[in-house]
Amino acid sequence: MRLSPQKAGFVLIVPSVFLVCSLLVYPVLYGVWLSFFKKHSFFPDQRFVGLANYVYVMKDPEFWMSVWYGTVYSVSTIVLQIVIGVIAALIVNEAFRGRNFVRGVILFPYMIPTVVAIILWKWLLNNQFGLVNYLLLALGIVQDPVSWMGKDHIMTSLILISVWEFFPFVLLSVLARMQSIPPVLYEAAKVDGAGVFRRFFHVTLPQLRNVLFVVILLRSIWMFTKFDTVWLLTQGGGAEKYIRTLPVYAYMRTFMYYQAGLGSTLAVLMFVILIVSTAIYFKMFRREGEI
Amino acid sequence: MNRKKTYWIVLGLFTLFFLISSNSALAAKKVIHVWHTETNPLSREAIANIVARFEAQHPDIKVEAEALAWGDLEGKIMAALASGSPPELSHGQPITCAALQAKGLLMPLDEVVKDIGEENIWDQIKKVGKYGDHYYGLVHAAGTSLLIYRKDLANKKGLKGPKTWDDLLLLAKELTMDTDGDGKTDIYGLTIPGDNLFINILMGELTKANGGILFDEKNRPHFTDKTMIETLNFLNELTKYMPPGWEGHGYRETFANMYGQKAAMMYQGYGRGASLIEQYAPKNMLSTDYFDVWIKPRGPSGDRPAAQVDEEPWMMFKGCKYPKEAIEFLKFFYEDENYLEYIQTVPIHFFPITKSLSKSKPYQDTPMIKKWKGWLDVQEYYLDNDLVKPTLVIDWEDMAGKPYLMEILGSGILKDMVMEVTKEGVSPEKAAAKAQKRAEELIKDKGYAKW
Repeated sequence: MRLSPQKAGFVLIVPSVFLVCSLLVYPVLYGVWLSFFKKHSFFPDQRFVGLANYVYVMKDPEFWMSVWYGTVYSVSTIVLQIVIGVIAALIVNEAFRGRNFVRGVILFPYMIPTVVAIILWKWLLNNQFGLVNYLLLALGIVQDPVSWMGKDHIMTSLILISVWEFFPFVLLSVLARMQSIPPVLYEAAKVDGAGVFRRFFHVTLPQLRNVLFVVILLRSIWMFTKFDTVWLLTQGGGAEKYIRTLPVYAYMRTFMYYQAGLGSTLAVLMFVILIVSTAIYFKMFRREGEI
Repeated sequence: MNRKKTYWIVLGLFTLFFLISSNSALAAKKVIHVWHTETNPLSREAIANIVARFEAQHPDIKVEAEALAWGDLEGKIMAALASGSPPELSHGQPITCAALQAKGLLMPLDEVVKDIGEENIWDQIKKVGKYGDHYYGLVHAAGTSLLIYRKDLANKKGLKGPKTWDDLLLLAKELTMDTDGDGKTDIYGLTIPGDNLFINILMGELTKANGGILFDEKNRPHFTDKTMIETLNFLNELTKYMPPGWEGHGYRETFANMYGQKAAMMYQGYGRGASLIEQYAPKNMLSTDYFDVWIKPRGPSGDRPAAQVDEEPWMMFKGCKYPKEAIEFLKFFYEDENYLEYIQTVPIHFFPITKSLSKSKPYQDTPMIKKWKGWLDVQEYYLDNDLVKPTLVIDWEDMAGKPYLMEILGSGILKDMVMEVTKEGVSPEKAAAKAQKRAEELIKDKGYAKW
């Protein structure tokens, strides 16, 4: 029996549809469904509570605090990653001796596992015997050791570590685009008398517009939902309360309070915040036909 | 058939035969899974040795022992129970044992207790895992929290151990020192870890030492009581003499404050720390002449000191595959020869649960035990006088009656309250009221509210 091309096409996409449904659609729908229940995280006790979890979360000061911490963390890290990533890409796009070596080394933070990076940084930032404080004191920049994991500085530490870890992604994306900018554009700009800065703002940056649009979108999603870096930084010491971002709070509700319903509610709200932010971002910056 | 083809076929058949035979050999064995929290290399080695000896005696049993970090354990146990494939045996917090027992998820270990001899186990230890007439948990070893201090510094200033919290504040003030005269503090009076587990341990201890309770018989939190407000005020005062950034210090960093000579007292120390001192303190300071322990003080509303006891029980789970074999393994584990090897890996923190072993010559002759005996004496004093309880447990009745303590610990409500008072300048009354509301909501949500 021969299938018609149309039927054969349907048959061929069945495995993909099955995979997408089971790995993407089902978990998301299950998460949404769970958010309407009061449910223990591991035991089968559950009760339908309608929108009660959402009402509770809206009145929960811990939730709003976690949204605030999450926003501070994601906005700061994205801005710094973009700025540092673009500057680094401009540098390694130039021809100099040892450029390939530098390009390799600069990707190192993005390649090492997060847990290793955090252990390394916690050691470096230790306020008693850490190298960072030693250098700051030796150079006379600070008079007393800075408590990097304490209340006042743990968010700064988290932001610095995250920027260090993730800026190579921006660098890689931007560098790839830079290498495809036609040199003729720079030559024309030079002929017109444009200096380094004008060439950057009038040639490079417009050419990077599309790649930056995508990079900012991806990094925003990834930083707002970032869990491992934040969580690991507070394990075995670290003022956790002051970097309790939304993913961490959702994890705590699910696996420490054992409230899977509330944990799912927080995850759904995180999803909604991202969808709305992405829609606004597209509306503001997307140009038809360019992306 | 050419030679190459023949070679590949023979190799394939051989591999297949090897896989089938090794699998069937493994399948013939009863595999018992054991999760424990002793991740240090010496303890792991001791457990591996005990397992090897057990397997040699029981060729039909294989023991898969896995060392897990404290923080990972509870979640992993819950996930294993939910998926219907729990390990045979695991360590766990006493309050986890209480919660799981209340849900009917544990199997009794009475046979192991009988084998050891009920009279041979310290009374305090028995209270941790006994519910009704059955033992659902059996402590692997006990170690109490300790107030460690720099004896040399205290002697130099003629200071004596504290009886009350006021005494401790005075001591902390006296021991906060500028040793080189540059106007900056070089040694802080006291150090405590700032992470969630240790703050919860501390709050349980201080509440008890101040004659207070955390939850009443109706499960209502008592965070706004006078005793708690006094506790928060005391902590707030104490932080004046603690190293800056203490809230970001973990347990090991707190100990580093001690052996690194940045702090003169440590409120949440443990016997395990004697090994850290031996490893990291200056060579001329490796003795109780420099690092000794005081009995902890009582609060203004309390009449007895209180400390926490770190005594994780072994638990055996309903639904596990080989409970009989697991019982056999535990019996073997507690046999003097095996148990001594385990205890000696962290001798000052692992206080044996059996009287026979703790009084035996081989145990008493352990060099570390001889050297740090003062630390063990204080622990024995706490245990003998029933001054120690597991984390967040104020009275023994809490073990069976308050199965939500695990969630209270995980939620960080108590830690947040302490941070608000000590780091954010919130008044103890306001912070306590907020914590009270959060804890009430959690207990109601769990279905335990009876008020």
